[in-house]
Amino acid sequence: MITPPPPALYEGRQGHYAGAVTRLVAFGADVGASWGLYTLGLGAVSLTVALATGRAFSVGRNQVPTLIVLVVWEFLYFAYQWALSGKTIGMAILGIQVVSADGRPMAPRQAVLRTLALPLSVAIIGLGFLGILVQRERRALHDLVAGTAVVYSWDARAARLRWLARQAPETTGS
Amino acid sequence: MSPNPINDRVERMAQAIAERVVGLVLDSIDLNAIMERIDVDRVVSRVNADAIVDRVDVEKIIDRVDVEKIVERVDVDKLVERVDVNALVERVDVRRIVDQLDIESLVAQTELGSIIFKSTSSVAAEVLDVIRAQGVGLDDFFARWTNRILRRDPASLPLGPSALVSPTPADVPALPALPAQVDAP
Repeated sequence: MITPPPPALYEGRQGHYAGAVTRLVAFGADVGASWGLYTLGLGAVSLTVALATGRAFSVGRNQVPTLIVLVVWEFLYFAYQWALSGKTIGMAILGIQVVSADGRPMAPRQAVLRTLALPLSVAIIGLGFLGILVQRERRALHDLVAGTAVVYSWDARAARLRWLARQAPETTGS
Repeated sequence: MSPNPINDRVERMAQAIAERVVGLVLDSIDLNAIMERIDVDRVVSRVNADAIVDRVDVEKIIDRVDVEKIVERVDVDKLVERVDVNALVERVDVRRIVDQLDIESLVAQTELGSIIFKSTSSVAAEVLDVIRAQGVGLDDFFARWTNRILRRDPASLPLGPSALVSPTPADVPALPALPAQVDAP
Protein backbone atom coordinates (compact mmCIF):
# COMPACT_ATOMS: atom_id res chain seq x y z
CA MET A 1 0.00 0.00 0.00
CA ILE A 2 1.28 3.46 -0.87
CA THR A 3 1.39 5.88 2.03
CA PRO A 4 -0.03 9.26 1.05
CA PRO A 5 2.44 12.17 1.27
CA PRO A 6 2.27 14.52 4.30
CA PRO A 7 -0.35 17.28 4.02
CA ALA A 8 2.32 19.96 3.55
CA LEU A 9 3.36 18.30 0.29
CA TYR A 10 -0.08 18.79 -1.25
CA GLU A 11 0.18 22.52 -1.42
CA GLY A 12 2.70 24.50 -3.44
CA ARG A 13 4.11 27.20 -1.19
CA GLN A 14 6.75 28.74 -3.43
CA GLY A 15 6.62 32.50 -2.99
CA HIS A 16 4.41 32.39 0.12
CA TYR A 17 5.56 34.14 3.29
CA ALA A 18 7.57 31.68 5.39
CA GLY A 19 6.34 30.89 8.89
CA ALA A 20 7.95 31.35 12.30
CA VAL A 21 9.06 27.77 12.97
CA THR A 22 10.81 27.29 9.64
CA ARG A 23 12.57 30.63 10.02
CA LEU A 24 13.57 29.97 13.60
CA VAL A 25 15.01 26.54 12.73
CA ALA A 26 16.85 28.05 9.76
CA PHE A 27 18.27 30.80 11.98
CA GLY A 28 19.33 28.21 14.55
CA ALA A 29 21.04 26.18 11.83
CA ASP A 30 22.84 29.33 10.65
CA VAL A 31 24.01 30.22 14.14
CA GLY A 32 25.28 26.67 14.52
CA ALA A 33 26.95 26.66 11.11
CA SER A 34 28.59 30.06 11.54
CA TRP A 35 29.82 29.23 15.04
CA GLY A 36 31.03 25.83 13.87
CA LEU A 37 32.98 27.37 11.01
CA TYR A 38 34.32 30.10 13.31
CA THR A 39 35.49 27.52 15.84
CA LEU A 40 37.13 25.49 13.07
CA GLY A 41 38.86 28.65 11.80
CA LEU A 42 39.97 29.58 15.30
CA GLY A 43 41.34 26.06 15.80
CA ALA A 44 43.24 26.29 12.51
CA VAL A 45 44.68 29.68 13.50
CA SER A 46 45.68 28.37 16.96
CA LEU A 47 47.41 25.39 15.39
CA THR A 48 49.22 27.58 12.84
CA VAL A 49 50.37 30.00 15.57
CA ALA A 50 51.49 27.10 17.76
CA LEU A 51 53.43 25.53 14.90
CA ALA A 52 54.96 28.82 13.78
CA THR A 53 55.89 30.30 17.15
CA GLY A 54 56.02 27.26 19.39
CA ARG A 55 53.59 28.95 21.80
CA ALA A 56 49.94 27.97 22.27
CA PHE A 57 47.34 30.54 21.12
CA SER A 58 45.07 31.48 24.04
CA VAL A 59 41.60 32.91 23.31
CA GLY A 60 41.40 34.12 26.91
CA ARG A 61 44.43 36.34 26.42
CA ASN A 62 43.14 37.62 23.04
CA GLN A 63 39.50 38.27 23.85
CA VAL A 64 39.14 41.59 22.00
CA PRO A 65 40.72 40.47 18.70
CA THR A 66 38.76 37.19 18.69
CA LEU A 67 35.53 39.09 19.43
CA ILE A 68 36.21 41.51 16.58
CA VAL A 69 36.97 38.60 14.27
CA LEU A 70 33.73 36.90 15.39
CA VAL A 71 31.63 40.01 14.68
CA VAL A 72 33.24 40.50 11.26
CA TRP A 73 32.85 36.82 10.47
CA GLU A 74 29.15 36.78 11.43
CA PHE A 75 28.57 39.90 9.34
CA LEU A 76 30.30 38.36 6.34
CA TYR A 77 28.53 35.01 6.82
CA PHE A 78 25.04 36.52 6.61
CA ALA A 79 25.60 39.56 4.37
CA TYR A 80 27.61 37.71 1.72
CA GLN A 81 25.19 34.80 1.43
CA TRP A 82 22.10 37.01 1.37
CA ALA A 83 23.65 39.29 -1.25
CA LEU A 84 24.72 36.31 -3.34
CA SER A 85 21.56 34.20 -3.43
CA GLY A 86 19.10 35.53 -0.86
CA LYS A 87 19.62 32.47 1.32
CA THR A 88 22.06 31.24 3.92
CA ILE A 89 23.04 27.62 4.55
CA GLY A 90 20.25 27.22 7.11
CA MET A 91 17.72 28.85 4.81
CA ALA A 92 18.77 26.60 1.92
CA ILE A 93 18.26 23.54 4.12
CA LEU A 94 14.81 24.69 5.22
CA GLY A 95 13.88 25.86 1.70
CA ILE A 96 13.30 29.55 2.37
CA GLN A 97 14.71 32.71 0.80
CA VAL A 98 14.96 36.44 1.47
CA VAL A 99 13.49 38.70 -1.22
CA SER A 100 12.56 42.36 -1.48
CA ALA A 101 9.22 43.23 0.11
CA ASP A 102 7.61 43.29 -3.34
CA GLY A 103 9.02 39.88 -4.28
CA ARG A 104 11.91 40.93 -6.49
CA PRO A 105 15.43 39.65 -5.76
CA MET A 106 17.10 41.44 -2.89
CA ALA A 107 19.74 44.10 -3.64
CA PRO A 108 23.20 43.79 -2.01
CA ARG A 109 22.49 47.04 -0.12
CA GLN A 110 19.41 45.40 1.43
CA ALA A 111 21.48 42.35 2.36
CA VAL A 112 23.96 44.56 4.23
CA LEU A 113 21.17 46.54 5.90
CA ARG A 114 19.40 43.36 6.96
CA THR A 115 22.58 41.96 8.45
CA LEU A 116 23.20 45.16 10.41
CA ALA A 117 19.59 45.23 11.66
CA LEU A 118 19.52 41.54 12.63
CA PRO A 119 21.27 42.13 16.02
CA LEU A 120 18.54 44.69 16.81
CA SER A 121 15.89 41.99 16.58
CA VAL A 122 17.96 39.78 18.87
CA ALA A 123 18.95 42.58 21.28
CA ILE A 124 15.43 43.56 22.37
CA ILE A 125 14.87 40.17 24.02
CA GLY A 126 14.07 38.72 20.64
CA LEU A 127 10.99 40.92 20.34
CA GLY A 128 12.10 41.90 16.86
CA PHE A 129 11.22 38.39 15.75
CA LEU A 130 7.65 38.70 17.03
CA GLY A 131 6.69 40.35 13.74
CA ILE A 132 7.05 36.95 12.05
CA LEU A 133 4.00 35.82 14.04
CA VAL A 134 1.88 38.94 14.30
CA GLN A 135 2.77 41.07 11.28
CA ARG A 136 0.48 40.59 8.27
CA GLU A 137 3.39 39.82 5.97
CA ARG A 138 5.31 37.81 8.57
CA ARG A 139 8.14 40.35 8.57
CA ALA A 140 10.53 40.69 11.49
CA LEU A 141 12.05 43.99 12.60
CA HIS A 142 15.15 43.52 10.43
CA ASP A 143 12.88 42.77 7.44
CA LEU A 144 11.01 46.04 7.98
CA VAL A 145 14.30 47.95 8.29
CA ALA A 146 15.79 46.42 5.13
CA GLY A 147 12.55 46.31 3.12
CA THR A 148 12.69 42.54 2.76
CA ALA A 149 10.49 39.49 3.30
CA VAL A 150 11.18 35.78 3.68
CA VAL A 151 9.37 33.33 1.42
CA TYR A 152 9.29 29.58 0.88
CA SER A 153 11.46 28.63 -2.08
CA TRP A 154 11.23 24.84 -2.06
CA ASP A 155 9.06 23.03 -4.55
CA ALA A 156 6.44 20.99 -2.69
CA ARG A 157 5.23 19.45 -5.96
CA ALA A 158 8.69 18.04 -6.72
CA ALA A 159 8.93 16.77 -3.15
CA ARG A 160 5.54 15.08 -3.54
CA LEU A 161 6.70 13.37 -6.73
CA ARG A 162 9.87 12.23 -4.95
CA TRP A 163 7.69 10.86 -2.17
CA LEU A 164 5.51 8.95 -4.62
CA ALA A 165 8.60 7.76 -6.49
CA ARG A 166 10.03 6.36 -3.26
CA GLN A 167 6.85 4.31 -2.85
CA ALA A 168 6.83 3.27 -6.49
CA PRO A 169 9.32 0.31 -6.42
CA GLU A 170 7.01 -1.57 -4.03
CA THR A 171 4.14 -1.47 -6.52
CA THR A 172 5.96 -1.74 -9.84
CA GLY A 173 7.97 -4.69 -8.67
CA SER A 174 11.15 -3.33 -10.27
CA MET B 1 -62.79 26.10 -80.26
CA SER B 2 -63.19 29.85 -79.85
CA PRO B 3 -66.60 31.34 -80.51
CA ASN B 4 -65.02 34.04 -82.73
CA PRO B 5 -62.74 32.62 -85.51
CA ILE B 6 -61.42 36.09 -86.44
CA ASN B 7 -60.13 36.64 -82.95
CA ASP B 8 -58.37 33.25 -82.97
CA ARG B 9 -56.55 34.08 -86.15
CA VAL B 10 -55.49 37.47 -84.88
CA GLU B 11 -54.15 35.89 -81.67
CA ARG B 12 -52.14 33.28 -83.56
CA MET B 13 -50.77 35.96 -85.87
CA ALA B 14 -49.82 38.13 -82.89
CA GLN B 15 -48.13 35.13 -81.23
CA ALA B 16 -46.18 34.36 -84.40
CA ILE B 17 -45.14 38.00 -84.82
CA ALA B 18 -44.07 38.22 -81.13
CA GLU B 19 -41.99 35.03 -81.33
CA ARG B 20 -40.34 36.26 -84.50
CA VAL B 21 -39.62 39.70 -83.07
CA VAL B 22 -38.23 38.30 -79.79
CA GLY B 23 -36.04 35.90 -81.77
CA LEU B 24 -34.71 38.73 -83.92
CA VAL B 25 -34.12 40.97 -80.90
CA LEU B 26 -32.28 38.24 -78.97
CA ASP B 27 -30.14 37.41 -81.99
CA SER B 28 -29.14 41.01 -82.32
CA ILE B 29 -28.18 41.42 -78.63
CA ASP B 30 -24.53 40.98 -77.73
CA LEU B 31 -24.83 39.46 -74.24
CA ASN B 32 -21.08 39.58 -73.65
CA ALA B 33 -21.08 43.31 -74.31
CA ILE B 34 -23.93 43.77 -71.85
CA MET B 35 -22.17 41.64 -69.21
CA GLU B 36 -19.06 43.76 -69.58
CA ARG B 37 -21.09 46.86 -68.80
CA ILE B 38 -22.60 45.34 -65.65
CA ASP B 39 -20.89 46.18 -62.36
CA VAL B 40 -20.81 42.64 -60.99
CA ASP B 41 -19.35 43.72 -57.62
CA ARG B 42 -22.27 46.05 -57.11
CA VAL B 43 -24.73 43.33 -58.00
CA VAL B 44 -23.01 40.85 -55.66
CA SER B 45 -22.99 43.40 -52.85
CA ARG B 46 -26.77 43.53 -53.06
CA VAL B 47 -27.10 39.78 -52.80
CA ASN B 48 -27.96 38.41 -49.36
CA ALA B 49 -25.42 35.57 -49.29
CA ASP B 50 -26.53 34.38 -45.86
CA ALA B 51 -30.08 33.91 -47.05
CA ILE B 52 -28.80 31.86 -49.98
CA VAL B 53 -26.56 29.76 -47.76
CA ASP B 54 -29.47 29.19 -45.37
CA ARG B 55 -31.41 27.69 -48.21
CA VAL B 56 -28.59 25.32 -49.15
CA ASP B 57 -28.74 21.85 -47.62
CA VAL B 58 -25.06 21.48 -46.79
CA GLU B 59 -25.51 18.04 -45.23
CA LYS B 60 -26.99 16.78 -48.47
CA ILE B 61 -24.06 18.19 -50.42
CA ILE B 62 -21.54 16.65 -48.03
CA ASP B 63 -23.30 13.29 -48.29
CA ARG B 64 -22.72 13.39 -52.01
CA VAL B 65 -19.01 14.20 -51.65
CA ASP B 66 -16.61 11.29 -51.81
CA VAL B 67 -14.13 12.41 -49.17
CA GLU B 68 -11.93 9.36 -49.60
CA LYS B 69 -11.47 10.21 -53.23
CA ILE B 70 -10.55 13.80 -52.40
CA VAL B 71 -8.07 12.71 -49.73
CA GLU B 72 -6.47 10.29 -52.14
CA ARG B 73 -5.85 13.17 -54.52
CA VAL B 74 -4.20 15.32 -51.80
CA ASP B 75 -0.40 15.27 -51.67
CA VAL B 76 -0.01 15.21 -47.88
CA ASP B 77 3.78 15.47 -48.03
CA LYS B 78 3.53 18.63 -50.10
CA LEU B 79 0.93 19.99 -47.71
CA VAL B 80 3.06 19.28 -44.65
CA GLU B 81 6.05 20.93 -46.30
CA ARG B 82 4.04 24.15 -46.49
CA VAL B 83 3.13 24.05 -42.79
CA ASP B 84 5.16 26.30 -40.48
CA VAL B 85 5.63 23.81 -37.65
CA ASN B 86 7.38 26.37 -35.43
CA ALA B 87 4.45 28.77 -35.70
CA LEU B 88 2.11 25.87 -34.94
CA VAL B 89 4.09 24.80 -31.86
CA GLU B 90 4.20 28.39 -30.61
CA ARG B 91 0.41 28.42 -30.59
CA VAL B 92 0.19 25.22 -28.51
CA ASP B 93 -0.44 25.78 -24.80
CA VAL B 94 2.04 23.23 -23.47
CA ARG B 95 1.35 24.12 -19.84
CA ARG B 96 -2.32 23.28 -20.32
CA ILE B 97 -1.39 19.91 -21.81
CA VAL B 98 1.01 19.18 -18.93
CA ASP B 99 -1.67 20.21 -16.42
CA GLN B 100 -3.98 17.62 -17.94
CA LEU B 101 -1.43 14.85 -17.40
CA ASP B 102 -1.88 12.82 -14.27
CA ILE B 103 1.82 12.89 -13.45
CA GLU B 104 1.29 11.66 -9.91
CA SER B 105 -0.37 8.40 -10.87
CA LEU B 106 2.23 8.07 -13.62
CA VAL B 107 5.02 8.34 -11.06
CA ALA B 108 3.26 6.16 -8.50
CA GLN B 109 2.24 3.32 -10.78
CA THR B 110 4.74 3.08 -13.60
CA GLU B 111 8.43 2.41 -14.12
CA LEU B 112 8.86 6.19 -14.28
CA GLY B 113 8.57 6.22 -10.49
CA SER B 114 11.47 3.82 -10.03
CA ILE B 115 13.54 5.75 -12.59
CA ILE B 116 13.03 9.00 -10.66
CA PHE B 117 13.67 7.10 -7.43
CA LYS B 118 17.01 5.83 -8.72
CA SER B 119 18.06 9.19 -10.17
CA THR B 120 17.01 11.54 -7.36
CA SER B 121 16.67 9.43 -4.29
CA SER B 122 19.11 10.07 -1.52
CA VAL B 123 18.87 10.08 2.23
CA ALA B 124 19.65 13.81 2.25
CA ALA B 125 16.78 14.61 -0.14
CA GLU B 126 14.39 12.49 1.88
CA VAL B 127 15.46 14.13 5.14
CA LEU B 128 15.14 17.61 3.61
CA ASP B 129 11.65 16.87 2.29
CA VAL B 130 10.55 15.62 5.70
CA ILE B 131 12.11 18.55 7.62
CA ARG B 132 10.58 21.11 5.25
CA ALA B 133 7.16 19.47 5.29
CA GLN B 134 7.20 19.28 9.09
CA GLY B 135 8.32 22.92 9.24
CA VAL B 136 5.44 24.06 7.04
CA GLY B 137 3.01 22.04 9.15
CA LEU B 138 4.24 23.72 12.34
CA ASP B 139 4.25 27.16 10.64
CA ASP B 140 0.60 26.66 9.76
CA PHE B 141 -0.20 25.51 13.29
CA PHE B 142 1.30 28.64 14.87
CA ALA B 143 -0.18 30.93 12.21
CA ARG B 144 -3.62 29.43 12.82
CA TRP B 145 -3.41 30.04 16.58
CA THR B 146 -1.99 33.55 16.15
CA ASN B 147 -4.83 34.46 13.81
CA ARG B 148 -7.32 33.03 16.28
CA ILE B 149 -5.86 35.03 19.17
CA LEU B 150 -5.69 38.23 17.11
CA ARG B 151 -9.19 37.54 15.72
CA ARG B 152 -7.80 37.86 12.23
CA ASP B 153 -9.35 36.39 9.10
CA PRO B 154 -6.63 34.27 7.39
CA ALA B 155 -8.26 34.90 4.01
CA SER B 156 -7.61 38.62 4.41
CA LEU B 157 -3.86 38.07 4.78
CA PRO B 158 -1.57 38.22 1.75
CA LEU B 159 -0.05 34.87 0.78
CA GLY B 160 3.22 36.40 -0.37
CA PRO B 161 4.82 39.38 -2.09
CA SER B 162 2.75 40.68 -4.98
CA ALA B 163 5.39 39.81 -7.57
CA LEU B 164 5.44 36.16 -6.50
CA VAL B 165 1.85 35.18 -5.75
CA SER B 166 -1.73 36.25 -6.29
CA PRO B 167 -2.81 38.83 -3.70
CA THR B 168 -5.59 36.78 -2.09
CA PRO B 169 -6.08 33.06 -1.48
CA ALA B 170 -9.29 33.17 -3.52
CA ASP B 171 -7.20 33.83 -6.64
CA VAL B 172 -5.10 30.72 -6.12
CA PRO B 173 -6.54 27.69 -7.91
CA ALA B 174 -7.06 24.61 -5.76
CA LEU B 175 -4.57 21.82 -6.32
CA PRO B 176 -6.00 18.58 -7.64
CA ALA B 177 -6.32 15.77 -5.11
CA LEU B 178 -4.19 12.67 -5.40
CA PRO B 179 -5.62 9.98 -7.67
CA ALA B 180 -7.73 7.41 -5.85
CA GLN B 181 -5.50 4.54 -7.05
CA VAL B 182 -2.57 5.81 -4.95
CA ASP B 183 -4.32 4.94 -1.73
CA ALA B 184 -5.43 1.58 -2.95
CA PRO B 185 -3.51 -1.44 -1.64
